[in-house]
Amino acid sequence: MPEPVFTSALSGRSAPAALSVSMREVVDRGMIDLRGDAKDPAFLAAVGSVLGFDLPLKPRTSSLPPTPTSSPSPGGGECLPPLWGKGRGGGDSQAPLQALWLSTDQWLIFCPRAGTSRLLAALREKLSGIHSLAVDLSDARTVIRIEGEAARTVLMKSVPLDLTSPEYRAGTVRRLRFGEIAALIHIVRENPDAIDLYVFRSYAEFAWDLLLATASAASALNLFGGQEPPL
Amino acid sequence: MTGKPYRIPGRGRLIDRAKPLSFTFDGKRMQGFAGDTLASALLANGQRLIGRSFKYHRPRGLVGLGSEEMNGLVGVGVGARHEPNLRATQVELYDGLAAVSQNRWPSLEFDVGVVNNRLSRIFPGGFYYKTFMWPRALWKHLYEPIIRRAAGLGRAPTGRDPDTYEQIHLHVDVLVVGAGVAGLAAAEAAAGSGARVLIVDENPRFGGLVDLFDGDEGLDWATERTRKLAAADNVHVLPRATAIGAFHQGYTLVFERVADHDPALVRQGAPRHRLWKVRAKQVVLATGAIERPIAFANNDRPGVMLASAARGYVQRYGASPGLMGVVFANNDSAYRTAIALRQAGVGVARVIDSRANPKGDLIEEAKSAGLDIQFGAAIAGVETGSGGKSIEAVKVAPYRSGSGRVVNETRLACDFVAVSGGWNPAVHLWCHNGGTLQFDDTLHAFRPDTHRDQIRAAGAANGILDTEACIEDGYVAGGMAGKAAGYVPLTPSPSPAGRESVAEGRVRGQASEAPLEPLWFSPATGKYNEGNKHFIDLQNDVTAADLELAQREGYESVEHTKRYTTWGMATDQGKTSNIMGLGVLSEATGRTIPEIGVTTFRPPYTPFSFGSIAGSHVGKLFLPVRRTSVFEWHKAQGADFEPVGQWRRAYCYRKGSEDRHAAINREILAVRRKAGLLDASTLGKIEIKGPDAGEFLDRMYTNTFSTLKVGRARYGLMLNELGFIMDDGVTVRLADDHFLMHTTSGGADRIAAWLEEWLQTEWPSLKVYVTPVTEQWAQFAIAGPEARKVLEKLGGDIDFAPDAFPFMSVKEGALGGYPVRVFRISFSGELSFEVATPANYGHGLWEAILAAGREYGIEPYGTEALHVLRAEKGFIVVGDETDGTVTPDDVGLSGLVSKKKRDFIGKRSLEQSFLKTPGRKQLVGLLTEDPKEVLPDGAHAVYEVKSSPPMTMIGHVTSTYMSPTLDRSIAMALIVNGRARMGETLSFPLKDKVVKAKVVEPVFYDKEGARQNA
Repeated sequence: MPEPVFTSALSGRSAPAALSVSMREVVDRGMIDLRGDAKDPAFLAAVGSVLGFDLPLKPRTSSLPPTPTSSPSPGGGECLPPLWGKGRGGGDSQAPLQALWLSTDQWLIFCPRAGTSRLLAALREKLSGIHSLAVDLSDARTVIRIEGEAARTVLMKSVPLDLTSPEYRAGTVRRLRFGEIAALIHIVRENPDAIDLYVFRSYAEFAWDLLLATASAASALNLFGGQEPPL
Repeated sequence: MTGKPYRIPGRGRLIDRAKPLSFTFDGKRMQGFAGDTLASALLANGQRLIGRSFKYHRPRGLVGLGSEEMNGLVGVGVGARHEPNLRATQVELYDGLAAVSQNRWPSLEFDVGVVNNRLSRIFPGGFYYKTFMWPRALWKHLYEPIIRRAAGLGRAPTGRDPDTYEQIHLHVDVLVVGAGVAGLAAAEAAAGSGARVLIVDENPRFGGLVDLFDGDEGLDWATERTRKLAAADNVHVLPRATAIGAFHQGYTLVFERVADHDPALVRQGAPRHRLWKVRAKQVVLATGAIERPIAFANNDRPGVMLASAARGYVQRYGASPGLMGVVFANNDSAYRTAIALRQAGVGVARVIDSRANPKGDLIEEAKSAGLDIQFGAAIAGVETGSGGKSIEAVKVAPYRSGSGRVVNETRLACDFVAVSGGWNPAVHLWCHNGGTLQFDDTLHAFRPDTHRDQIRAAGAANGILDTEACIEDGYVAGGMAGKAAGYVPLTPSPSPAGRESVAEGRVRGQASEAPLEPLWFSPATGKYNEGNKHFIDLQNDVTAADLELAQREGYESVEHTKRYTTWGMATDQGKTSNIMGLGVLSEATGRTIPEIGVTTFRPPYTPFSFGSIAGSHVGKLFLPVRRTSVFEWHKAQGADFEPVGQWRRAYCYRKGSEDRHAAINREILAVRRKAGLLDASTLGKIEIKGPDAGEFLDRMYTNTFSTLKVGRARYGLMLNELGFIMDDGVTVRLADDHFLMHTTSGGADRIAAWLEEWLQTEWPSLKVYVTPVTEQWAQFAIAGPEARKVLEKLGGDIDFAPDAFPFMSVKEGALGGYPVRVFRISFSGELSFEVATPANYGHGLWEAILAAGREYGIEPYGTEALHVLRAEKGFIVVGDETDGTVTPDDVGLSGLVSKKKRDFIGKRSLEQSFLKTPGRKQLVGLLTEDPKEVLPDGAHAVYEVKSSPPMTMIGHVTSTYMSPTLDRSIAMALIVNGRARMGETLSFPLKDKVVKAKVVEPVFYDKEGARQNA
């Protein structure tokens, strides 16, 4: 049997050099959409036991594996070997296993793509008998990593939110409108910023092209401070 | 005329004489300097005549210095980069700039349209409401085209705009509009409290008009503030940016001209314009004030300009408006111009002041400068040279308030007039969102009164003309704005600090001034409208006589006067004309200006580009386009695409010289005879899970799903509360508590939201989760007699044998190495499987299926073949056979409406008498008498064919195709009592013929379903 051919939505695209940010498609990410009752301790405990950390319950936040010292099995709960990178937990905002808050009863859990089916199976096993819905949506979204000082400014050309507000710290998750499409941002790191933009796969080209248009170096903006005085 | 005498040696703060720039005006090469505006460069070249007016084609020149310019409109750039109607005063000069005058033919100097001026008796205010009204047909074919050619200003550019534009959203605590002294002070105070501040100004340099009122000391103060603000971390300074509209809750549109001043920036790829969508907690309007003219006879002649503008051209650019000027005023402010002109060595024939005996420091200064001043006098008119293109003299007459016609006048030679009738606070933005105004008896102008939004006016915009008081007002407004935005003002507050700095004398104190005495209209010899036009609105060619005519004809409300005459309309928005017109109306009607009221100021403050409205959303970014995982393959095949919602789906795949019909027929026959492959990825897919999932589906669909066996599929019909069909599709049971619903492609998002709404708002007790999974899956239909062989060839762990994999069932497994879900369902009526694989495997699996199917003659088919195939089988398409008023029984699907279930959405409505009454339209098939005749979509059947409409209609065609399978046309239609009309022949009158068709069952092919069950 031949190996199946994997073609990500942006596999044919690469970012040109003259951009104010660097951007690339994140292809090695598995994503599980989890629905469940945040007030049900059994649900939270079951998920926590699989992930090795608690689901984020505060709106617009995400949660990471705990630091190695505080957890015996970083990056993997009791029923899973730490297949997403030993030592990559530790509160590292780029940890390969994370849970993003999507709504009061919905989370997006991401992990290395190769481990998705094992994580999904583990979740379903632990959640059997608990009202919930876990679905592999690894292919439903395209993730674009935007990095650089200008990342927020570029997004502000298409997003009507105040991304410069102090509430947009590393770890913040926000569903929003990007250009004319539904999207989600996850602030992975600050100073310099690294932001993951999640869009539905069918819109990947549109999102990529809109980023290319708004991130051109010639349209870069220096917002607030250190400006040339208009005299 | 050489340009030399008009460039004053040693003057011109902003120009760099070491950097000469070359530009053209109407093709004529001219020279300016870096720092010039197009207006100042034209003046310095002695070019007084800039364009022709809107209606009368009268020669016009520059009146203002900045955005208040209503006259000096030019076109800049060539070809696709040409932009019409730019204010020459706001165009920064660059090397190679090409400008043209507007509204003239064949040339600016010799214009044919000026005949309108001589015919002005037939073009008074409101002329188009009473002239050319009859005969009616001539309006459309003769009058309107001619008027449209003669009126108007610039010409639209040709070709596609080669430049880019963009938008940006910004949230700030305090937005300060205007960077004159009040704005700078407001920004400093607000920023000092810690608030995040955006300060915008339409000019390239901050400081407003401070240089024209307070000289170097004022300029130094503004410069220092500007430097500090530009460096501050919590301030963004934005020059060349006009706040064009103020909307609810601090939402303000700011139009930034990013690269208009420097073509090199555009060449580097910078956006030409950027539209800022600013959301500010607090707004401070420091928009300044606009000088107003005084109406006198022929006050529109090139050379008549605002006093502040004349001063500005001399001091900023060393450009002289002429060789010998007359200053005409009713206030002290214009004396600054007389003094400045004298100091620069420009001739000043006389200062004419309408006031009888004013006393003030500036008047004394003017006197001691040796200026000739005449009190109690007014300009009664101007004498012009050839064709009114230049001024030769003014007529001066004694004036006292209320005087009527002029009887004696003297002639005073000059070539330009600097006029000032006072200053109007720029209240436009204040009024955009409902701010009220009060009339100020000192300014004789309106100033801001109350506002419901978080918005404050400061400085001259607030009716304060004294510089020190403007600064203090700015500090107070900025401090209050910062505080209102949640910040604690600095202690000591910036306001006293500001006062101190003012008190330190860094800004020269204002000289004591004599009060202004209003003068709106200076009488002339002769009658108003005979060679003695007193222009109020120069941009729209509205005269004092037009306003009075509107009153006489009953357009007494100020809003009616505005519409009847066009006064204060269009791009100028009455910047200079508003109060002057009100003054004229006041004198004409005996009512006070506050009694008359003010017309509505509307956005935009000044015009902004269509490009900036579109922003980045042009070309392929105009609308989001959704692509399936196989999109690139379809494109590479040269497929014809059709939009389905935002998706682009392959409509058909033409081969070689085939036309669309041939391609569609070939694809259909491939499915009927061999095998076809369809990209059905756009179908909506929703996972539904929970202990109450079966019950939930029973309520959502008309038929029953709780009884569906695991691994089996069922077609479902979904109604809205009104009992009408809203969606349909196949739902499969993956596990006891787990279903996968398919919806129509266009309904995917809507149905997911519909399910969530019922769960969240009506049935929160149901334990069900709903997750849309459309985007996760690529899904392909393999349909046709050879479909099973193709799939078996691919290999895997799924048994496709008829008994193992019966119709309407589902299996999961591997196919050709790909993880798949396979559904045995059919929308074509053939043996058919739909294969779903994660989207990133879609392209690979698609090619694998084609490769495996090659020996069986598989062909890809598009959406049109899909539609014909389903129509041959009589399957409905929601949106074709239904239109939101169609019940299941109407389309013959009453068998899918459960009679056993306690309830489902739409059940109660279906019981309503009018949904059960006979005479409703019912779905039928149609066979035309001529099998080659394809009825048009939407054709109506009538009871009786008449020679012309109206004819009583029986129903209409919902789907109609040429069926290659049956080698004849087929159609479906909704016909009154259709099922009782089987065998009847109906008439469909078309434009040029009547098509007759027989009513038949809507299933045309394989009625028994033997093929799909094979």
